Amino acid sequence: MIADFVRILRAADIRVSPAETLDAAEIFETIGFDDRSILKHALGQTLAKTEMEKQAFDEAFETYFRVPEETPPAVMPAALSEDDAGDEESGESETQSGSDEMSGEGQPQQAGEGGEGSEGGESGEAANQTLTEMLQNRDMAALQAAMQQAASQAGIADAKLFTQQGMFSRRIMEAMGLADLDARIRQMNEGGETERAEQLKQGRAQLFGAVQDFVERQIAMRTKNVGRLLREDALSRIRLSNLDKSDMKIMRELIRKLAKRLASRHSRRRKKAQRGMLDIRRTMRANVAFDGNLFNLAWRRVKVERPKLIVLCDVSGSVAAVSRFFLMFLYSLDEVMPKTRSFVFSNRAGEISDILQNDDLEAAMEAALRQYGGGSTDYGVSMMDLAAATLDSVDKKTTVMVLGDARSNYGDPGHLVLKEFYERAGRVIFLNPEPESVWDTGDSEMKKLGAYCTHKQTCNSVKHVERVLDDLLRLSS
Amino acid sequence: MSKEKTARDAIEGLMAGYEKLGYVSDEQIATALFLAQQLEKPLLVEGPPGVGKTELAKATAEYLGLDMIRLQCYEGLDEAKALYEWQYGKQLLYTQVLKEKLGDLMEGAATLDQSMDKLHDFEDVFFSEQFLQTRPLLEALRADDGIVLLIDEIDKSDDEFEAFLLEILSDYQISIPELGTVKAKKPPLVFLTSNNTREIGDALKRRCLHLYIPFPDAARENTILQARVPELDKSLRNNVVDFVQKLREMDLKKPPAVSETIDWARTVVLLNMDVLESDFVKNTLNVLLKFKSDIESVESELPRLMRESQNPKQQNPKQQDAKESGAAAE
Repeated sequence: MIADFVRILRAADIRVSPAETLDAAEIFETIGFDDRSILKHALGQTLAKTEMEKQAFDEAFETYFRVPEETPPAVMPAALSEDDAGDEESGESETQSGSDEMSGEGQPQQAGEGGEGSEGGESGEAANQTLTEMLQNRDMAALQAAMQQAASQAGIADAKLFTQQGMFSRRIMEAMGLADLDARIRQMNEGGETERAEQLKQGRAQLFGAVQDFVERQIAMRTKNVGRLLREDALSRIRLSNLDKSDMKIMRELIRKLAKRLASRHSRRRKKAQRGMLDIRRTMRANVAFDGNLFNLAWRRVKVERPKLIVLCDVSGSVAAVSRFFLMFLYSLDEVMPKTRSFVFSNRAGEISDILQNDDLEAAMEAALRQYGGGSTDYGVSMMDLAAATLDSVDKKTTVMVLGDARSNYGDPGHLVLKEFYERAGRVIFLNPEPESVWDTGDSEMKKLGAYCTHKQTCNSVKHVERVLDDLLRLSS
Repeated sequence: MSKEKTARDAIEGLMAGYEKLGYVSDEQIATALFLAQQLEKPLLVEGPPGVGKTELAKATAEYLGLDMIRLQCYEGLDEAKALYEWQYGKQLLYTQVLKEKLGDLMEGAATLDQSMDKLHDFEDVFFSEQFLQTRPLLEALRADDGIVLLIDEIDKSDDEFEAFLLEILSDYQISIPELGTVKAKKPPLVFLTSNNTREIGDALKRRCLHLYIPFPDAARENTILQARVPELDKSLRNNVVDFVQKLREMDLKKPPAVSETIDWARTVVLLNMDVLESDFVKNTLNVLLKFKSDIESVESELPRLMRESQNPKQQNPKQQDAKESGAAAE
């Protein structure tokens, strides 16, 4: 049950590690199940570790641990309509179905790992034998238990989409022995016991309603966040030129997240303590010359080396579809590596570092595109502009990055200027939004330009960006 | 069943015990304390400044009758300041002394080889306990009968310090390269506090229980005031709490925390006020609010706020009821 609950938490966007799951198990042992509020606090403290996660956790906890109490009323009317004596029993059936759920819920994992076929078959038969009787006797507790069991057989723990609701309801009904029930009803009808058959039919209809309710709740609980996650995941893979406006917003969020993640992972290298512990070994060695008198103290030092980054970004007409993305990329780069100098060009290059630093993303993008965007590409002149502005400051610690499709309208691709950068800089990286198969077709000068690059790579999705940025930061440290 | 009973009892016992010490907890906090002791896990306490995170650790130390070691984190804190350092001065002196004594030591050694052998026989004390300067973390591990270790404002420290804490937090041991691993005699009860100025790493979070203390609701704040500023009479206390709760609803840069409420209540007592007057409130807003812009925006709203907090019964009778029952429960 813990495993299943953890799964639900994960669906609700709470990150739960296996170790935390173990902790949770320990908590169940120390605290037990009966005191709900303490259990909730305790589990919340072990499993949810940010404020947002706490909220999500509270919701998930309420839904998950109330299911056993809530379910019976859904079926109850059937019992009450004809059988009032069931009232007292129903109290018991609640708790019982609750515990049944707990043990039942643990099963899907095991079943999923192996032996599903044989196990499923057996218990399916067991349910078969009783479904008719259960309905006849209005044995709600048994029905509940059978439903839970059938649900785990049907693999409801893997439910992902609302559209699967019908399928799961059907599967559960079948696992509970629907075919057999139908056969019995037919039999009764033929045998002349129409009244009993009618009763059974009613029971079946009610049961079907109950199962649907149950499935709906279960799926709702499990899929709360899956939709969004699926979408984000898909977006991060999708080709950038295919994005539409509405996706841009989510995309921006993604890029921001990405930049933040990278920044937190790498920012600490920037501020290493200059002076810390005495380095005894180095001190000794340095002072051998002074006859062992410790004269010069050597301190443990950490070398801090920040890369300088120069980015040249194409915003011309030929890459209009992806230039926004490029700019976003530049913007996030700027957040992660404050020493970045950013240039954009179509026919002339211009520096936009200040714009990126001072404005927010939207404004910066607009400004950059208005000022420099849309023209026809001229790599040669732009490279020259870039060289005039930066070539003097390029040294071995510098990384030069070019974002563009290398299509220079059959003009000078500027590869000779790039060569100069290549000779001076530590690295030259060319990121091309086009897939490698169309490089060097038409006016693409990837071959010429690529000759003077340390890396060249296709880059047209967020996944690519993440990889490139990460590599870059790692290499630079 | 019995297990659950004891858990519930223990938690309620904790709450009562803390209240005697002047720390008003609630079920959430008490559960966290109970778990931290039961599972021997560090407790990461988060919440806005001034809700009593540090106070919680202090109260725990008092409650358990243990000493408390406090490690205040700041940017640039490293293991030399948190864990241990070598006493360089002494070490330098030692080498000097050693050099003088070297002649005696080497007596009888005819060749260079023999003197080298003698030198090797000589016990190496250069990196030994004698020259070790312990710092808070090492002290906490060496404490004989348990200790409360408070690592305050962990979010202020650097990432690498956080990483360095991991070993201590999960196994209650630390490795000193020159000496080996030091294991805690008795696992200390560790509190980490954070104001959330930066996100704490997942690895650290995973090892801790996580307790979030929000601003208290009116009833709890009332109880806290009663415990902390008993001189304040009841109706005035209600007014104070109401006013502060109102302030928190406003859009302020830094809403007043519990510690500020207490300060303000003390001010009220100190100035012998019988009722909250507009002028008094206006003049003492700086106790509650720490930003000029906040004070200005509250001043303009003051008449409305005063009207509402003077007649809280009409405003929200429910809240008032809760408060009274809370007070009565004591």
